[in-house]
Amino acid sequence: MSKPKFLGKSIWVFHLNTGSCNGCDIEVLDVLTPYHDAERFGVKLVVSPRHADAALLTGPITIESLPKVLRAIEAMPRPRIIIALGSCACGGNIWHSSYSVIGGVPELLKILDERGIEVDGVYYVPGCPVRPESIVYAVGLIKGLVPKKIKPKVKKVGG
Amino acid sequence: MSLKNIRRSRLGFLRALVIAGRSGRVTRRYPYEEPLVTSDFRGKIDIDETKCIGCGACVNACPPNALELINTRDGYVSLRYFVGRCIFCWRCIDVCPTGAIKGTREFELATNDISDLYDIIVHEPNKCRECGKLFSTKRMGDYVVTKSPLVENYVDLDPDCRKSRFLRAIENRFGGGIE
Repeated sequence: MSKPKFLGKSIWVFHLNTGSCNGCDIEVLDVLTPYHDAERFGVKLVVSPRHADAALLTGPITIESLPKVLRAIEAMPRPRIIIALGSCACGGNIWHSSYSVIGGVPELLKILDERGIEVDGVYYVPGCPVRPESIVYAVGLIKGLVPKKIKPKVKKVGG
Repeated sequence: MSLKNIRRSRLGFLRALVIAGRSGRVTRRYPYEEPLVTSDFRGKIDIDETKCIGCGACVNACPPNALELINTRDGYVSLRYFVGRCIFCWRCIDVCPTGAIKGTREFELATNDISDLYDIIVHEPNKCRECGKLFSTKRMGDYVVTKSPLVENYVDLDPDCRKSRFLRAIENRFGGGIE
C-alpha cells in the first residue's frame, strides 16, 4: 500500500467527461448519494480544475475533447493525479481503434509526456459502467485504506 | 419560543436531526463490510491456463478486443486479456470450446499500475515436421486429434506444407505435373 503522502488528505476531484456515454457519470453521482456516500472519505466534486487534486476522466478521450483535457490538467496545481474511470478511459473500450478517439488514458499519458505536463499518479478503475462500490473501493485504495487486490498474471504453458 | 419560530431560527437544524433519527442510517459501510453482489453479477473473467488451447474463439467473440492473440517474435502465441478494456459481457465464456474461461464476481479492480490489468497466457507453438515453421499451438493440435482422430497424420504440418502435399497427391494420381 504505497501511496503519495498528499493523497491521505481529502481529495478534491474535477470531473471531466471526455466523450463518455454518461453511464460512468451517472455512477459518479450515485457514489455521492447518501447510500454510498463517498463524501465520508472527503471526496468532493469541484467546479474548477484549479481547486482539484485529481482529474476524474470518463470516456475514451475524443480528439475534439483532447485540448480541453490538456488545458484542465495543466491548470491543476501540483501534486495532481488522474483517475481513469470505466473501460473507456482505461483502454478505449469498443472505440479503442476508432478514428475519432485517442484511446484512453494510456495514450493520453504519452501525449502529456510529449508536452512536458507532469502527473504524479494515475489510477485505473475498470468496469462498464463502473460499479459504485468499485469507485468507493478506488477511493479507499487512493487513500490507502484497502489493499490492492488485482495482480498481473503471466503463465507459460506447454503442449 | 414557539415551535414555529424554532423552525425559522438558527435552531432549525434540530428538526433535521429529529427526522434523521427517525429514518436511521442508510449509508453502506462498504470498504469495511461485504459488498452487495448478486448471483447474476458479471465480473472479471478467469482463464484457466491448464485448459486453454489458444484457439482464439474468445478473441473472435470479444466485442472490445479485450482478449487478443499475439504472435511474439520467437513464434510463441500468447493470449492477452486486458481487464481495462473488458465490458464484462461474458461472451467468451459461451464460446470457449474447452470451458477454460470462468466468470468471477470480482469487481474490485482499481489499481495504480496498468500492468496489473493484464493476464497473459503464453502457448508453445506447433512445429511443422517438414519445413520446421512454427504455427498454431501444440495444445490445439492435440485437441483437434481428440475430436477427430483422422487428422492425426497431417496435424503437425503447417498450412503451406498441407497444401503442397495435397497438390503432390493429385499429381501422383493423374500422372501429370501441376506447375
